[in-house]
Amino acid sequence: MSSLLRFLLAASLLLANVAAGAQPVRVDHAEAELVAASDAVVPGQPLRLGLRLKHDPHWHTYWKVPGDSGLPTTLAWQLPSGFAAGEIEWPVPKRLPVGPLMNFGYDGELLLPVPVEVPATLAAGSSVLLKARGDWLICKDVCIPGGADLQLMLPVRAAASPSRHAALFDRARAHTPAPMTLEAATATIEDDRIRVGFLPPAGIETLEFFPLQESRIEPAAAQTLRNESGGAALYLTRAANASPEFTRLSGVLVANGGPEAAARGGWAGVIDLPLVAGSVAATAADAAVAATAGQAATMTLGAALLGALLGGLILNLMPCVFPVLSLKLLNLMQHQRADDAARQPHPSMRAHGLAFASGVVLSFVLLAGLLIGLRALGEQLGWGFQLQTPWVVAALTLLFFVIGLNLLGVFEFSFGGALASSGAAQRLQGDRLSGSFATGVLAVVVAAPCTAPFMGAALGYAVTQPAPIALAVFAVLGLGMAIPYLALTWVPALLRWLPRPGAWMLRFKQAMAFPMFAACVWLLWVLAQQVGIDVVALVLGGLVLMAFAAWAFGLAQMGAVRWRVAALLAAPLALYAVFGPTIADPPARAAVQTGDSWKAWSRAAQQERLAAGAPVFVDFTAAWCVTCQANKRLVLNRDAVRAAFAQSGVVMMRADWTNRDDEITRELARFNRNGVPLYVLYDKRGGIQVLPELLTEGIVLDALARL
Amino acid sequence: MQRRDFLSLALLAAPLPALAQAAPGKAAPVFALTDLDGRKVQLADLRGKYVVLEWNNPACPFVMKHYNSGNMQGLQKRFTGEGVQWIVVNSTAESHPEYLKPAELKAWLQTQGAAPTLAALDADGTIARAYAAKVTPHMYVIDPNGTLVYAGAIDDKRSANVADVKTATNYVVQAFAELRAGKQVSAASTNAYGCTIKFAVG
Repeated sequence: MSSLLRFLLAASLLLANVAAGAQPVRVDHAEAELVAASDAVVPGQPLRLGLRLKHDPHWHTYWKVPGDSGLPTTLAWQLPSGFAAGEIEWPVPKRLPVGPLMNFGYDGELLLPVPVEVPATLAAGSSVLLKARGDWLICKDVCIPGGADLQLMLPVRAAASPSRHAALFDRARAHTPAPMTLEAATATIEDDRIRVGFLPPAGIETLEFFPLQESRIEPAAAQTLRNESGGAALYLTRAANASPEFTRLSGVLVANGGPEAAARGGWAGVIDLPLVAGSVAATAADAAVAATAGQAATMTLGAALLGALLGGLILNLMPCVFPVLSLKLLNLMQHQRADDAARQPHPSMRAHGLAFASGVVLSFVLLAGLLIGLRALGEQLGWGFQLQTPWVVAALTLLFFVIGLNLLGVFEFSFGGALASSGAAQRLQGDRLSGSFATGVLAVVVAAPCTAPFMGAALGYAVTQPAPIALAVFAVLGLGMAIPYLALTWVPALLRWLPRPGAWMLRFKQAMAFPMFAACVWLLWVLAQQVGIDVVALVLGGLVLMAFAAWAFGLAQMGAVRWRVAALLAAPLALYAVFGPTIADPPARAAVQTGDSWKAWSRAAQQERLAAGAPVFVDFTAAWCVTCQANKRLVLNRDAVRAAFAQSGVVMMRADWTNRDDEITRELARFNRNGVPLYVLYDKRGGIQVLPELLTEGIVLDALARL
Repeated sequence: MQRRDFLSLALLAAPLPALAQAAPGKAAPVFALTDLDGRKVQLADLRGKYVVLEWNNPACPFVMKHYNSGNMQGLQKRFTGEGVQWIVVNSTAESHPEYLKPAELKAWLQTQGAAPTLAALDADGTIARAYAAKVTPHMYVIDPNGTLVYAGAIDDKRSANVADVKTATNYVVQAFAELRAGKQVSAASTNAYGCTIKFAVG
């Protein structure tokens, strides 16, 4: 082709373009076009121009502040004299996770509007050629620098009408955040923790912060919204390379999904607050967990304390606790009456109540202190950690079994004065304050396995708080547990409501053995998950030996003294059978039952699935967690739920915390949790839904529908 | 449950993500690597010398900006000539299409006329995470005492345009000029630009 012909061809193409105003230009992975909001230029009237970028699916370009990588899109104008282009009016961006990093940008169809001043001296009837060079970085997994020379020819007229792109400009304007005033807003920084406190406008469910300056906040760090007494707070993390000039926190706040979700109360606004040094609570925020406001429903201290008080009260009804306490109380009453009748001096009922309460509260505080101390040493422990250790589970089984035998009357024995009995020794102990204190301690020991399954998550929250708060929560839990006992000993009138002691007490005591044996069954099931059926068989053999020892001991107590030797021989054997195999062998990590569609969770496996574009549901569970088991049986294993999971292509993963697992403990901490259950649904785009601890079919199906 | 000793306890006590650890003015995170020729090198071995870390990925247009212009090779030659240990690190995950085998990266460096002291793969991203490296190219300068003195961008022109190299202020050059003059590095931490490091997932 001759150069002349080529020139003519190019010229005619150019003319065709000019006639149509402009044509979109096809560039790498996007379509680019220079567009105007109106169909003509009006002398002296501001004009709105914009870069329209239509990204190919899964490709994105960047916001003004691009995050961990990327470059903001730029526009270089070539305009006739007298024209002046302003700055890009950036619409609200999205969070775009890339592996462990985070970018801020746009996908789909984007308009970057720019206001342009038009000279008043233009002659109507002429036309103007507006040119701009757009440069951007367009990325999917890989990045390609993109750009185009764009132009737009517009007629000059005395009046203009909206162009065919006007709607795009209107939408962009609605999506462009304007400066806003948040009531009582403050920004505080301590080390790398930043807290934005404010009085929340009505109905904030989710809140995201996009920094308007680089090197201020860590883009990928979790942003946690919390309701706190006197308002709400958004927690951010200072960038590792934060600039020393970080004295103001300015950025865009996007609530409830932003302007795009205006119908659901979404909005966005620009804030600019002085950043002052102060104290900021840790939030266990982790860089790799994307901000999800689903986690915003964290407890306030007041709610935690109230919950602990109620939880403590409920503990009295637990099968492991009720027999011990009710019998102790009845026994105490009996002795008091007998002593009164015999006019013997004895500590008052109130003193007994207080001794018991201090036993309970101190034991809980000690247990919590131990947990906090171990965590401070770096051990990855959560509440329920007692039950992650096989020998502890075995010891509790043995304890419950022996208590059950005792209740049945196989032998008479007093655990620190804990159990009601009619022997002379018990009579003495029953009257001693130390006996009441010891009962309190024992009550906590037997209650501990009950707290983990029912209140693991709530106590887990407490443990993630600063030590004084955690200890307070545990102390209040103990107080709650002691309240009925305290009340009954404090107000003797209440005692009249209790049935009078009599022969029924013996039957009641014997009947209470069965909840104890039921608790043994449950603990053995947990143990089976941890160490397998062979070890459980040995432990069961140990229980038989222990039963024999108890029986022989009982015979000896009734006068057949020789049997004492048999008891002394059998008891150590029983202990050996129970503890030998459970202490010696660290258990293999419990195999996740993958018979159905569940896969064993690991963070790597999860990320791999997500990277492959599959949504992932993670069930954080443990065999000893009753709530978890209930959810599994009643909801997750239902046919309708399984079908919904299969239909939405969700990869189902199970993180089994029955045994100690540091990776799972760390993952729980990323969600501000310290216990199971926890249910997390990740969508393909990095969005996270945290489901409530008590699942229903509806909750799971709704969550899947939102994918 | 694993039996653990004091060492693993100490490891557990370390904060989880290694994001905030590498900061100018603080000790540079230690690392051990095996270079493309199979030699094992630790940061401790390089005590007494300046060390430059250059995060590299030939598939990245921002990296190519500095190789196509000859800028990076020039810096490598100039500073290794002054006794600086220049280490090229490629942290692309093995599962990523942009992953290069050691021999491939070596061949590429040769065709580019690159002259680093050594180059190494970090396919599991351990070193990148320790240094909070996020992009290619991400540059670090460690002084002879093992203190990190510069972390950030290669220069101040955040583009993939080769023409910008000439007019840009090169932060690595600036840092060395200040260090040699016995001064503090004025821009010790800048915002690196480039392609995201293609980390191994998880």
